[in-house]
Amino acid sequence: MIEMAHVFKTYPSKIAALSDINLEVSPGEFIFIAGPSGSGKTTLLHILFCSEKPSSGQVIVNGIDITQKGFKKIYQLRRKIGMVFQDFKLLRDRTAGENIAFALEVTGHPQKEIQRRVSAILEWVGLLGRERDSVLTLSAGEQQRIAIARAVVNNPLLLLADEPTGNLDDQMTSDVMTLFIALHRQGTTVVFATQSRDLIRRYRYPAIQLLNGRRVNGETEGGVKGER
Amino acid sequence: MKPPSGYGLTRAFQNMWRNLFPNVTTIGVITISVLIFSTFSLIAFNLASFLEIWEEKIEVIVYLNRKTSINEVESLLEKSRLVEGVESVKYVSPADAMAFMETRLDSQKNLLEGIQPTVLPPSFEVRLKKDYRNPGKIKEVVSQLKRFPQFEEIQYGQEWVETFSVLVHILRLTQWMLGGLLLVAMVFIISNTLQLAKSSRREEIEIMQLVGASPSFIQIPFYIEGIVQGLLGSGLAIIFLYILHKAVFLYLPLQMKEWLTRIPVLFLPSQTIAGILLGGMVLGFFGSLVASVRFLK
Repeated sequence: MIEMAHVFKTYPSKIAALSDINLEVSPGEFIFIAGPSGSGKTTLLHILFCSEKPSSGQVIVNGIDITQKGFKKIYQLRRKIGMVFQDFKLLRDRTAGENIAFALEVTGHPQKEIQRRVSAILEWVGLLGRERDSVLTLSAGEQQRIAIARAVVNNPLLLLADEPTGNLDDQMTSDVMTLFIALHRQGTTVVFATQSRDLIRRYRYPAIQLLNGRRVNGETEGGVKGER
Repeated sequence: MKPPSGYGLTRAFQNMWRNLFPNVTTIGVITISVLIFSTFSLIAFNLASFLEIWEEKIEVIVYLNRKTSINEVESLLEKSRLVEGVESVKYVSPADAMAFMETRLDSQKNLLEGIQPTVLPPSFEVRLKKDYRNPGKIKEVVSQLKRFPQFEEIQYGQEWVETFSVLVHILRLTQWMLGGLLLVAMVFIISNTLQLAKSSRREEIEIMQLVGASPSFIQIPFYIEGIVQGLLGSGLAIIFLYILHKAVFLYLPLQMKEWLTRIPVLFLPSQTIAGILLGGMVLGFFGSLVASVRFLK
């Protein structure tokens, strides 16, 4: 699903965000990207999501070399990738249902189909009946569940999550993790960036450790140590 | 899957309703800009029509030799009508000239008592074609007319024609220069206002990109919004200008009103109105295009 070979990312201010990153993620795998703040986790996810370009190296996502010159159909690739953020990135002037429907409207689904799928996904995230509620009236955990619902409503092959539990308490984190695990069990590839050692220890999925933009072979509390 | 056709239009109106304040501001800015431009156009248009009235008055008077017989006058009339640039030629006999003078002098016409019409020379009033009513071309026509030996003197108010021509030239140049400057300023102001309006929707655009919206899906409603804003803004400007045009006449002092009855003060012709509306739409579209390009980088 993902192949990264000798990926470097240096910003114009000469700050090296990523240095010589090599990574392979197979379809249907769940992987944690661990590391403290500023270690390069977000940059790595942004490269996979095509919102940033690497300075050098090769990145293949779902068989497409996104680093090749002239690659312009980013939006088509994004329809196969779901992305979840720590700050949810929901449209605050819309309802929970409208936020999810937005992802389906963009991909041209008919209204009836949109209504059916929005109801189904709301039921799955445990928020059925809340579709008409403004997102501002939802708790942080509920907002994150709406963001996950929006990310997966188009049945993506790959789900990228950038510290999705960073702003949530233990109970909300547990609820959100249940959704990610369920998606993984359904066959979705999940790349989950987190600073939380506790999360990696608790869920025991493979993890790679980043520090100052480099992969390190230090202890990872999950299943895998060092280079994969 | 592609969004159904007409979806862009629906979304454009939904977006306008959701972002009412930035949209009202943009339409307001377009209205003010177009109002300034169309007010200027209206003044320029009236000035041009005023100049055209004056241009109509430019003519050449040819005084004939007193020895010219009536039989010769007919053939001279025919020949002078064939001169390039001449639209029409009218014969003014000494008696006609005397009658004209009497009308002009009105209450003082007794000054002409005892004067025989024969003291006045017969003349031709030569009306020129539109393109020939300027100093250079008049001279060409006059030099052609001078070839006729029966024409004793030719007058065409050389100084007036030259002054008038310079005046027309300066006015037209000012019209184009000011019009051009206003247009550039308008494009700049409208594009900046649209950019500000779009920046309030940066988050929405970012999320659209996030969920896989194609560039055209994002851009088309913006363009439609720009066109609608341009149309509404310029439409309102025309309505305000019409009200202003009417109001000016209502509140003018009586003396000015009387003076203005001699000069027709017109409203913009329908073609110009259509042009302004179309221009507003084009402006709105390009403003949106510039704003979108910046936001979709």
